[in-house]
Amino acid sequence: MPATFLHRFVLSIGFLSLFHSAYSAAQHRSYLRLNELDFTHLPLDIIIQALISLFVIMYGVMNVAGDFKEIKASAELENKSWETFRNIPSFYTFSHRGKFLAFPHQTGNKKHN
Amino acid sequence: MANLNSILERLRLWRENNDRKSRKIVEYWITELESNIQKLGREKALILEQVCIAALDCNEFTIAKKCLKELHKDFPNSLRVRKYEAMLFEAQEKYEDAIKILDDIIKVDETNSGAKKRKIAILKAQGKTVEAIKELADYLKIFMADGEAWQELSELYITEQDFQKAAFCVEELILHNPHNHLLHQRYADIKYTQGGLENIELARSYYCQAIKLNPKNVRALYGLYIATTAIATSAKCSSQKKKEAQKLSEWALNEIQNQYKHSNIDDIEDRLGALQIN
Repeated sequence: MPATFLHRFVLSIGFLSLFHSAYSAAQHRSYLRLNELDFTHLPLDIIIQALISLFVIMYGVMNVAGDFKEIKASAELENKSWETFRNIPSFYTFSHRGKFLAFPHQTGNKKHN
Repeated sequence: MANLNSILERLRLWRENNDRKSRKIVEYWITELESNIQKLGREKALILEQVCIAALDCNEFTIAKKCLKELHKDFPNSLRVRKYEAMLFEAQEKYEDAIKILDDIIKVDETNSGAKKRKIAILKAQGKTVEAIKELADYLKIFMADGEAWQELSELYITEQDFQKAAFCVEELILHNPHNHLLHQRYADIKYTQGGLENIELARSYYCQAIKLNPKNVRALYGLYIATTAIATSAKCSSQKKKEAQKLSEWALNEIQNQYKHSNIDDIEDRLGALQIN
């Protein structure tokens, strides 16, 4: 499944939202410092925003990154047959029947009759 | 343009799978590719190589020369392109000229495995299998992790009917690539060909392993069927073992039938019978 525009959009929204929650957390700390209050925990809305954007990013990444591979190691070989596997291009020889079966049309090759 | 794209897609697939569809490739070159060389983009060099080999395969030297010229223009000092020049000589059966070029390549770059492999292929083309085996064994002393070379060595040993050594090469390949069902199947093929109860029992185990890795491998299923049938009818076997083998052969036959259930072939057993060489 190719990554659609929508998925890319969802991913960027997720990242923006995550940065926004980080920025809010930093601002919350500076607010506490100015008012000389002790830090106990972050406000609930920032935590919820961070968690939601995490899941949105996960959804976006899964759709943008491309197809998953099969977990079985042999899955890629499943549809290969010995006929193509035994064929090794670096050891091709050309002294075979190819020259007698060559194209009848085309070029000035001598015909071997 | 859509046509060109689908051709490029197909060529890519054939390159990955090592399909030797030379005639089709040359046809594509004549009808579509030749007039669109400049539009091939990043794949241009790869496709030119592919067409060059296919043209040599079909004895179309003018096309091969054209591809070589294009490659030469892009990579004037490349050893890889020189190797294709050597292959052109090879296809014209001017083996001495080809060897001269390959020796030059090896002199410049001693670790050029491609050129060394071509020299072995030339020996093979000349029918000097024994020399080819010797060269390839020497090559494997240096490049021990070269799976292709091990596979080729095993094929060469098989042409010499030295099954023991061919089996050793496939064992080496299985170590490299234990998840490949085709290698297990190949090893079993060789062991079955060797004959003898022990070897056939070993073949049976390896066919089973191949089927375990890929239940769709019909060749391994058929191999299992004939191996177990051979065990079941062997005189030296205990009745317990015979019974097991009988069961396994029935299972294999059933599995083969299941594979072909959806393809409207009804007389599968007769067809299997026709495969017998008796």
